[in-house]
Amino acid sequence: MRVHRRPMRGPWKRALASAGLVGLLLGSAACGGGSGDGNGDAEAGAVSEAVEAGDPVEGGSIAVGLEAETNSWMPHEGTFNQPGLNVAYAIYDPLMQRSADGEVRPYLAESLEPNADLTEWTLKLRSGVQFHDGTPLDAEALKTIFDTYLKGTGSRLAAQLAQVTSLDVVDDLTVVYKLTETNAAFPDLLVGASGWPFSPTAAAASGPDAGANPVGTGPFVFESWQRDSRLVVKKNANYWQEGKPYLDEIVFRPIPDEDTRLASLQSGDIDVMQSLRQSTVIRARDLEGVNNFEHLGSNAGGMTLNTSRAPFDDIRVRQALVHAVDQEALIEVLGGSGVTPPQTQFWSPDSAWYSEKVAESYPGYDLEKAQELYDDYINDPERSDGKPVGTALSFMFQCPPDPSLNELSQLYQALWQALGAQVQLQATEQAAWIQDMLSRDYDTGCTRVGADRDPYLVFDDAFTEGPLNMTAFQSPEIDEQLEILRTTTDVDARKAAVEEIGLVLNENVPNAFSGGTLTVLATKEAVRNLDGWTFPDGAEGNGANASTAMWGHVWRVE
Amino acid sequence: MYVLRRLPSLIATVFAVSLLTFLTTSLLPGDPALQILGAENATPEAIKAVRTELGLDDSLPIRYLHWVGDALTGDFGRSYRTNEPVSQAIVERLPVTAEIGLLAIVIALAIAIPVGILSAYRAGSRTDKLISSTSFGLLAVPNFMVAILLILIFAVWLGVLPATGWVNFTDDPAQNLRSALLPAMSLAIAEMAVYTRLLRTDMIATLQQDFVTMARVKGVSNRRILFRHALRPSSFSLLTVAGVQVGAIIGGTVVIETLFAVPGVGRLLLEAVLVRDLLMVQGVALVIAVSYVVVNFTVDILYSYLDPRISHGRSTARV
Repeated sequence: MRVHRRPMRGPWKRALASAGLVGLLLGSAACGGGSGDGNGDAEAGAVSEAVEAGDPVEGGSIAVGLEAETNSWMPHEGTFNQPGLNVAYAIYDPLMQRSADGEVRPYLAESLEPNADLTEWTLKLRSGVQFHDGTPLDAEALKTIFDTYLKGTGSRLAAQLAQVTSLDVVDDLTVVYKLTETNAAFPDLLVGASGWPFSPTAAAASGPDAGANPVGTGPFVFESWQRDSRLVVKKNANYWQEGKPYLDEIVFRPIPDEDTRLASLQSGDIDVMQSLRQSTVIRARDLEGVNNFEHLGSNAGGMTLNTSRAPFDDIRVRQALVHAVDQEALIEVLGGSGVTPPQTQFWSPDSAWYSEKVAESYPGYDLEKAQELYDDYINDPERSDGKPVGTALSFMFQCPPDPSLNELSQLYQALWQALGAQVQLQATEQAAWIQDMLSRDYDTGCTRVGADRDPYLVFDDAFTEGPLNMTAFQSPEIDEQLEILRTTTDVDARKAAVEEIGLVLNENVPNAFSGGTLTVLATKEAVRNLDGWTFPDGAEGNGANASTAMWGHVWRVE
Repeated sequence: MYVLRRLPSLIATVFAVSLLTFLTTSLLPGDPALQILGAENATPEAIKAVRTELGLDDSLPIRYLHWVGDALTGDFGRSYRTNEPVSQAIVERLPVTAEIGLLAIVIALAIAIPVGILSAYRAGSRTDKLISSTSFGLLAVPNFMVAILLILIFAVWLGVLPATGWVNFTDDPAQNLRSALLPAMSLAIAEMAVYTRLLRTDMIATLQQDFVTMARVKGVSNRRILFRHALRPSSFSLLTVAGVQVGAIIGGTVVIETLFAVPGVGRLLLEAVLVRDLLMVQGVALVIAVSYVVVNFTVDILYSYLDPRISHGRSTARV
């Protein structure tokens, strides 16, 4: 991530940027999809432009525009994507957080230590920490609420906590997480919702409405929430981190439309906006008086191939289809031309798990090779789909209904038809599409690939037997590397294992990519220090990672 | 009496609507249990447990009867997604949509009536042609496009109105009006064009009738003829269409509320549909449908005010 000062720009540039709002809309209305505007001076990859943070300033209020509303603030009920994480990190403190170098370190917790075989993790809490309702955060409180996350009906944390047999109280401030088996990646779970303590007394008092009345230990105290409109939090005067938070108030506002969210930042209705859309990142770069905190997330665009179904059970077909795809053209259709780098693996170049070697092994755009593999398969008398020799491949490509995804699908279709394949396109609504993938009742289609989580958790979900293995791909080599990831905390050994898995995947291509996902927190210049948060011991945090901020560390000048 | 005569058909309509709403939403592909659990937790056992808890495994007629029974007592259940009571969500959001919709109709009528009358009065003139072509132009522009343009002009360039967001009337009436203005204007533009065209056509016909000529001969002023004598008999089509167009406005709020980040029922419905929050979709769709039926029922009653012959049963042609 590079940081540099923005050059000054004339007012006409601002007018052009806003006119771009209309231009883009006209474009998408006319041809059913926002195409890349080929912005010549745009730079590929995450570029953060920000004025110097300066010294912290106390007081003030900011409004933050988020791309979506979150269904519930109860950690085991909510779906916490980037918008939800932003609010959650204001109200809750995560027990653990990720540092600048990708390590998972204690944040609200004082320490987290494993036993020798990594099956028991002993967590020490800080003394004197209180929930917003005055309940002390001690071992008993943590156990009470964690048991709800673990055993509550319909708990969205059930799968990730399946490996936890129990949380046992050792003394007033110490607990032990007991696991069913060795797991070196366990601390990563406590960065997310499983590691956000909700006041057990408040949870019991609110009953089914707890999700609308969050009570955490975080820098801000929940004040009010009108769904789909605004959530207001106020400064926590009893915060355990001395001197924080700086702001008096934050108003979080879900504004689902990209154009109007950007317009709200321009008009001053909001001070910060969050986006994962490539075209918005490009336009935010052109705004006057706006700082951009960009991050290339590891949740990339891509597609899945159902390897449990012919012809995708044959490696030649998968390789042929991927070699036939020009990723730069896909990125252009998705509006990220010039800013979004091609993706080659589950990890973005901004991730600590990224590997050059894996990047080089990704099957690039090579029509000749694609044709060769394709012909080889269709002329094989033993071809897996059982069709007569020479018959063209015929399959369906599914994608959720969205103008730019429709265009993307058409491009895939054209590229594969050039090989001779017959490709039927189907727009399947998100909910139904996920269900098709989970039940492996599909040929191929677009999906998102990868996540900014521990590689063991990501790959174990994706490539072992289980509901989330939507490609149905498994391999003994991957299993072997997963075993390393599961049983060692040594960073170099784990990086090597991640690299090996990447190489196996790029050879077998159960997934392919359609470009990275550049994320941004765009702010008015008065809002400072979005990416400068630190751990209580002073270690550097992972910045404005994937468009989320640690709000207790943010201040505004004026 | 007229009202009583119409009541059975009103009830039948609402019943049909409830059945259709229930059936169409229940037959949508995509399992609500999967949405609740999230893909990673969706083991067959977990899905089964959730489906049993929600009663999704009962047969459709049983589920319908349960739902209607509860709905009659005002209990639409709790949202699968947010755990919020559906009735509470609707009660919180309906006023927002109603305010924007009403404001849109008021703005549209306030502009359409004088403009439509002027257009009819000057039929065939340059003014009339300008009004007609502008109306057609406005009709052709989709409301989301109008919305973006309005935001650009009033929020980004002039900075006089907020680009997005909502302030409750109870919190600050003035700010509430400011936040409702742009969404209402976005919805009003197309309505305004429709109303103008309709009023013009009916007005031209009315102005050719004998009683207008009579009034002219008696020396009644133009303004009085147009607004007092001709407007009322010319507003049947306008009123009918304004009633029917409430449906278009409700449909429009789905888009407009999302663009302006306004917490109304349109946005509630959209998000509920996307995640298969069945009870929420059914509750909201039913309430919208009932409001639509009630509005049009009210329009029917207003006919009898416009034309007293209707309530006396001598003319049922228009009903």
